Amino acid sequence: MIQTSATETPVAAQQHGVLLAARGIRRSFQIGPRKLEVLHGVDLELRRGELLGLMGSSGAGKSTLLHILGLLDPPTQGEVVLDGESAWKLPVERRARLRNKKIGFVFQFYHLLPELNALENVLLPAMIAWSALEYRGRKEELRERAVNLLQSFGLSERLKHRPAQLSGGERQRVAIARALFLDPPILIADEPTGNLDSATGEKVLELLLAEQEKRSLSLLLVTHDERIAHRCRRVVHMTDGRIDGEPGAVVPQG
Amino acid sequence: MYKSFLSWRYLLRRPVNLIGIVGILVGVGALILILSIMSGFLEETRKTVRGSLADLIIEPAPRQRGTGRSLPEEPSKILELVRADPRVAGACAQLTWFGLLAPTGDSSPVVIFDPQNASRCGVQLYGIDSADEFQTTDLRAALMQESRRGTLRVLDPDAPFEPPPEYVPDGKPHDCVVVGEQLATAFDLKRGDVINIVTANPRPEDTEFKPSNKRFVLAGTFRTKDNETDLGRIYMDRQVLMELLGPPRQFSQVLVKLKDYPQQGKQVRDELSEKLYRAGLTAGYKSEVRTWEQFKEILLGAIANEKVLMAIMLSLVLLVAGFTVYAILSMMVTEKRRDIGILCALGATPSGIQALFLMIGFWDVLIGASLGALIGVVGAFQIDSIERSISKLFGIEIFNRDVYLFDYIPSVVDPVSVALIVLGAFVCTFVFAFWPAWKASRLHPLDALRYE
Repeated sequence: MIQTSATETPVAAQQHGVLLAARGIRRSFQIGPRKLEVLHGVDLELRRGELLGLMGSSGAGKSTLLHILGLLDPPTQGEVVLDGESAWKLPVERRARLRNKKIGFVFQFYHLLPELNALENVLLPAMIAWSALEYRGRKEELRERAVNLLQSFGLSERLKHRPAQLSGGERQRVAIARALFLDPPILIADEPTGNLDSATGEKVLELLLAEQEKRSLSLLLVTHDERIAHRCRRVVHMTDGRIDGEPGAVVPQG
Repeated sequence: MYKSFLSWRYLLRRPVNLIGIVGILVGVGALILILSIMSGFLEETRKTVRGSLADLIIEPAPRQRGTGRSLPEEPSKILELVRADPRVAGACAQLTWFGLLAPTGDSSPVVIFDPQNASRCGVQLYGIDSADEFQTTDLRAALMQESRRGTLRVLDPDAPFEPPPEYVPDGKPHDCVVVGEQLATAFDLKRGDVINIVTANPRPEDTEFKPSNKRFVLAGTFRTKDNETDLGRIYMDRQVLMELLGPPRQFSQVLVKLKDYPQQGKQVRDELSEKLYRAGLTAGYKSEVRTWEQFKEILLGAIANEKVLMAIMLSLVLLVAGFTVYAILSMMVTEKRRDIGILCALGATPSGIQALFLMIGFWDVLIGASLGALIGVVGAFQIDSIERSISKLFGIEIFNRDVYLFDYIPSVVDPVSVALIVLGAFVCTFVFAFWPAWKASRLHPLDALRYE
């Protein structure tokens, strides 16, 4: 693993193919009369096929940055460039479409819909992507793909189970299958093993990393666990709303 | 796709939605049922009221405006003019006046102003030309109706004023009359009974009130199902009534039946009114030539008014159902905050989230209004047997058939009204579902996701 600064020179970025980039991101929250600055001009790049770890202590601002990069929360200042487009300048409908097609989310608390079974949860991004007519036209194909995906994740016996009937590890595997279902180029995982015991967490992490490798995903993995960070090819650290280190600084590990 | 799929799933997994559905169902069903019954009452009342009238009623005013011309005392010219119109199917003259009925065997002097004497009864005397009458009004059909007490109707409806076989003449034969079925019941009259009719026809030159008194034979009864008519009307030949009243009264009104009243009624009324005035047969007042609906507009207007008031009151049920849908959806939006956040993270748009919750309202109203319409329509068609079953089951009489003009609960299902009620339910539900759905679409995805 190498530890690096958040951004590279434009030439280097071009070479590696930057897929998602944060440029001068600031984010503040108004809490009563007090203005709380969480991010202080963060720059970060995620390249194509890269496994990037984002570390930091609690309250460092990593989740906030993650949500801004995932187009869920707007920055107070700065821009997010996704595949060459300044995403936060797009209309809300197009931004939602980008999120649907290009970004998969894995949350610490799984965030599966309790009303749906595992298979339906996995199919949900496709239901959002297509109209009823389009979806019905491809229903069998989509269903088969979702079943195959869940089977490959060891959940062939759990297809019709609802989240409440699944263990934590199983839920997270369903969540990963859902995030990967539309083959997005970017996967954002926020403490994906944070809510699991270490053995289960390890299995989930293995699965996540294997899929990243297999699909050449750009995976942004937020964690505060050093052992997980060690598995990442590149790691950036955040402290008090800033990325540690200077641009271009590369710190070899191990 | 997710909107219809998830909204349906939320609906099935949350039994609380049933309350909204049932509310809409009750509102729509009750509105359709009650309005159908009210329409039925209105329709039946119209039929009954129309039965003893004709399409147009011509009542020449007693004095002619300003010209000094006197109006005709006999109806032949009016009848001639009216019958000359090709749109007229029939016309007849009626002479009407008031009288007192003193039943059989009462040979004591008649005390007119004795409110304690229950054997006297105020009646309306109708002098008719039966052949013309039958072509114009529904009297012949009313004469065919059997009395509820049994065989009291006239033997030959085409000759209603012929003495019945039960009558045994005692000296000079009397003229015959036909009385309303309820009047016969009230006085326990039988066919062939002799009744006493007292009347008075004061003229301007008379200085004292001189009643005239005549005996008649009851030839039979008629039944129009209109209480007022069946309880207070006596028909006799116009010539006989003319003799009883004395000159100059020969007719009170001319009734006209049209070939196509719904289409031509008002036009013929206006044209006849004009022609009669030009011919010097009426005084030119608008009220002299009226349609039967104008003649009974207060009664018909009252029932129509009741229908509108009933619709307004029952719409409140729909309003309450709308509030229920609002409350349930608001609760669901709060309950599903996390789901909303997840859907946003997966790429749902705010308008999609809004549509998702609106669609829950849509399912509510689709199921509720469809079932409500079905129950309302079936209920309206079967209301009479439903009422009889319930009355039998609980041993009570819900609908007192003696009170009304008809012995069944009438109902008329108007498809336009049903469509409007269902449309109203949809509009009401969407209006009430809009606010919670809009609130859901405004939720910040992160606030929703943090909602653990």
